[in-house]
Amino acid sequence: MGVIFQYIHKAFDEANGQPKYILKDINLEIGTGEFICVLGKSGCGKSTLLNLLAGYLKPDKGRISVDGVDIQGPSEQRGVVFQQHALFPWYTVRENVEFGLRIKKRKDAAAVAAAYIAMVGLKGYEDAYPAELSGGMAQRVGIARALVNDPQVLLMDEPLGALDALTRDTMRKELIRIWQISRKTIFFITHSVPEAVYLADRVVILKEGQIAMDTTIALARPRDIRSPEFLYYVDLFSANLTGNGQESMIAE
Amino acid sequence: MDTVKESVFVPAAQELISVHEALALSQYMAEPVFEEDIVPRKIMEERKAGVNTYLKALSLVLFFCIWQIISYLNAVSLWFNPVFLPSPVMVVQTGYAYLQDGTLLNHIGMSFYRMLAGFSIGVVIAVVLGVLIATRRDVDNLVSPILNMVGPIPIFAFLPMFLIWFGIGEMSKIALIAYATFVPLITYIIDGIKNTDPILIRSARSLGATQYQVFTKVILNSALPHIFAGMKISLALTFSALVVAEMMGASSGLGYIIVNAKNWFKMADMFLAATLIGLEYTLFYGLLTLIEKRLFRWKKAGTDRAIEK
Repeated sequence: MGVIFQYIHKAFDEANGQPKYILKDINLEIGTGEFICVLGKSGCGKSTLLNLLAGYLKPDKGRISVDGVDIQGPSEQRGVVFQQHALFPWYTVRENVEFGLRIKKRKDAAAVAAAYIAMVGLKGYEDAYPAELSGGMAQRVGIARALVNDPQVLLMDEPLGALDALTRDTMRKELIRIWQISRKTIFFITHSVPEAVYLADRVVILKEGQIAMDTTIALARPRDIRSPEFLYYVDLFSANLTGNGQESMIAE
Repeated sequence: MDTVKESVFVPAAQELISVHEALALSQYMAEPVFEEDIVPRKIMEERKAGVNTYLKALSLVLFFCIWQIISYLNAVSLWFNPVFLPSPVMVVQTGYAYLQDGTLLNHIGMSFYRMLAGFSIGVVIAVVLGVLIATRRDVDNLVSPILNMVGPIPIFAFLPMFLIWFGIGEMSKIALIAYATFVPLITYIIDGIKNTDPILIRSARSLGATQYQVFTKVILNSALPHIFAGMKISLALTFSALVVAEMMGASSGLGYIIVNAKNWFKMADMFLAATLIGLEYTLFYGLLTLIEKRLFRWKKAGTDRAIEK
């Protein structure tokens, strides 16, 4: 079943009486447990697509369903990890991770939260406040906080975009590890081509509000970023993003 | 040519080396400094904070000493009528006398009670109304224009009306104090609630929070620092209202002491009451700051922390 986008249209503005579509006729099916990366330049509508799936925005046309159920606003079944971690600054790491369980009055909140804090490798930082964490640590808390609810889908809006190159590299490996343990469907947004090729089962390129490419990456994990197959995918997507093969992108 | 150049150059170079050596030597002599235990700057600053408390206390002691010296010198050399400026010792003596006959505690207690009652009522009304205005468009449309019109009127203009409406008793005073607290505070509460980061609301909703839970766990927590800032700012007006209310139509309280002392030209009484009002304000302000520090331990911002000294 998984996630299904059908005939999605979304506009925020009008031009000459016609809606200016940010997203135009998006049709997409994501299988359960699939790691999908949506790749695109800024302004291509990829964040809008995520906000629609999260339930923060409503489509002007079309429908989105998860496991056969139409989306009605935000839900803990679709956990979101934001670029700017969005942790509650007045709660400690533990309280942030427990948040989703506490509001459901779950008795096992402490134990479950502790397990997820250990899983993202933050044991010993339970009592720290978000202001005391580094960017990478805060992002791990954000991931643990979303996973605690055992969501059907994990939505990630450029979660590594605000991190430095070294931390980003570690976090990509971490993310694959966490995904392999939790076996969640991951809907991941990025503008980095190598990141998408490293992480995803499948890459969808979004251009001017439409799907320009939808490719499955047939590479075994862990992926070697210097292998010719890896570079083949990077070149393929880069060429598609820039519009022609002439321009080459500066690698990260 | 070469030999001449060398003969000029070499002594200068030698001199340079010797200066360098001297520098190295002086560094070597200063080395024991580095052998001391290393204390992190953060800890050092916390220790210094203790010193700051002493400095603050010293500043107050110094203030009273200078006051005492000036009034003493004035009593001796008669620059102006000594009655105009009683010394701190005289003020303390007056206070002690009132303490003995039991009237002082009554006055302090009455002021304390009025202030606490008025302040609490004002805060509660401001929070309730502020929350309604910030969260409900219809309430905002109905109430905000009235608040914007009435709010800027100096609160003391209302005192005679309050006296007529609520009578000469405690009601009118507490009502004025509550109003004085309410007016500046409500702006801060509305601002605090409206300034909640929308991404925090989104993330709470995606963690399964209901609208109500978003309000209690996210919006209120985010607005609380603003509310406290507002309470601290309102406090000054609360105290002004207290004193004004007690100066007009009261038979007890610190404000009453001042008016009564004016009629009988008891300067020491005025100074005593003024000092006690100052102390009571400081006490309340300190209490709010203490609660603030406890509640907002998660806040790590502030100009002091920008650059280590």
